[in-house]
Amino acid sequence: MNGFDELEPETAELVRPYVITKGRGLPNEEQLSLITLVTAAGDQLQRPTQLSPEEQGLLDLCTAGFLSVAEIAGHTRLPMGVVKILLSALTEGGYLITRPPVQRAPLTDRHILEEVLNGLRTKFG
Amino acid sequence: MTSYIQNPVIWALLVAVLGAVSVIVRQRRAARAFRREIEEIKAHYTQLENSFSKSVESEKEQAQDATKSVLKSAMRTLQGLAAEQQSVISGLQTKYGESVILQDLLEIDHTNSQFGRRAQSIAVLCDGWLGRQREVASVYDVVRSAQGRIRHFRRVEILSQVDFGITNRAVEPVALALAELLDNATSYSSPDTVVEINIRTVPKGICIVVDDAGVSMNDEERAKAEKLLSSERVSGVSGLGSPPQFGFAVIGVLCERFGFEVSVDSNSPYGGVRAVLLLPHELLTAMPVKKAPAPAVPASAGDQGGPQSAMTASSTVDGLPRRSRKRPMAIVPGSASATPAATRSDAEAAAIMGAFQRGTEIGRATRPDSANPSSSTRDASSEGHEVS
Repeated sequence: MNGFDELEPETAELVRPYVITKGRGLPNEEQLSLITLVTAAGDQLQRPTQLSPEEQGLLDLCTAGFLSVAEIAGHTRLPMGVVKILLSALTEGGYLITRPPVQRAPLTDRHILEEVLNGLRTKFG
Repeated sequence: MTSYIQNPVIWALLVAVLGAVSVIVRQRRAARAFRREIEEIKAHYTQLENSFSKSVESEKEQAQDATKSVLKSAMRTLQGLAAEQQSVISGLQTKYGESVILQDLLEIDHTNSQFGRRAQSIAVLCDGWLGRQREVASVYDVVRSAQGRIRHFRRVEILSQVDFGITNRAVEPVALALAELLDNATSYSSPDTVVEINIRTVPKGICIVVDDAGVSMNDEERAKAEKLLSSERVSGVSGLGSPPQFGFAVIGVLCERFGFEVSVDSNSPYGGVRAVLLLPHELLTAMPVKKAPAPAVPASAGDQGGPQSAMTASSTVDGLPRRSRKRPMAIVPGSASATPAATRSDAEAAAIMGAFQRGTEIGRATRPDSANPSSSTRDASSEGHEVS
């Protein structure tokens, strides 16, 4: 009769990811891509106690300096999208600073270069 | 005198009297027999009645047991499927973690959890399988697990945390009971209100307080709830009413089986119900040790000092931090090298130092071929490896 004792070994996580994200949606790609750099803002001491353990863990990871979103996700056991949602929430809360990845230098317009060349030729040539 | 004897009237009278007496006697006897018969019939009737109600009762019990066992095995199948689906969804979430599909996978996960909880609740009422064995979890995580099992989990806010864990046996029942409380709280309050959870340490253990801003219960509902939460609970699934109300019945069963207490006899400061779940010390334990989230990085073991020193020098002339690739490996919590050395006991340390000293003495000694000391050195050094 005591069926409560027939328990089976654990398979899934106790806290589901949608609870960890508090049901928030994915941030858009421009705001937070895999190579966006993230670091903690301000002092660690003024961190509020209401953050979830996962958010605390992410802040701990980010305190030392800039890390890319991909690196941070690699250090957690959470799906990438979940990490992104948490990071964007922390950024909105002002605990994190994001920096877009350094843009590749855009190629100068060939037309302008030709004009400059022509100008130089007419002046000096 | 003879005239009397001669008188036929007298004789006739005598005969009539005798006849009357005999009739009366016979009737009395008959009446007595009737009375006895009636009594016998009465006794028989009560006996029949008793055996009838007894058999009805046992039939009812049998039917209930049959229903219970059918439901129990049916729910077990459903629970197994829900658990299986949950692990499939977990796999998908990791696999498509970078994709927009993740959003939908999270929705599916949420629905699946609710489905699992429903099956679990019915199983609990049928003395069935509660679910998978969990590891020790923090109170906060158990509360969040409960939160994830209800439809309107977004409306639940956890306002405080405590540094306690719940024993592995109690994780699942507490989560299920709390989920039922939260389901009630969110169902009986308007969709734009928040359900607050406060976790407090009290002398008897830990209280998980659930406050909703809904309509409070009236006296009748409160009495019914108290009855279900106490020992006079309904048995089985019959008597849950229509539509069936599982919540308090499930909580009542879980409280009795696992030794925690739930009360709903006070009002919340927001006008709704305040439900309090009291976890006694027997169900509490230390906070579980966090598993290292990242796989062990071999490089971090060696250059523990390197990144630290790099960190201090890692800013540009403008005062901006400079990115260093090695740093994240070092700041991952739970790097293996430093802690075990610190946890060496005095005896172990002494043994290692002793082995070291013996080794140097043997090295300095003129006879290097002695078998015994060298073996002891090997033992000691291997012991040292085991410890570190």
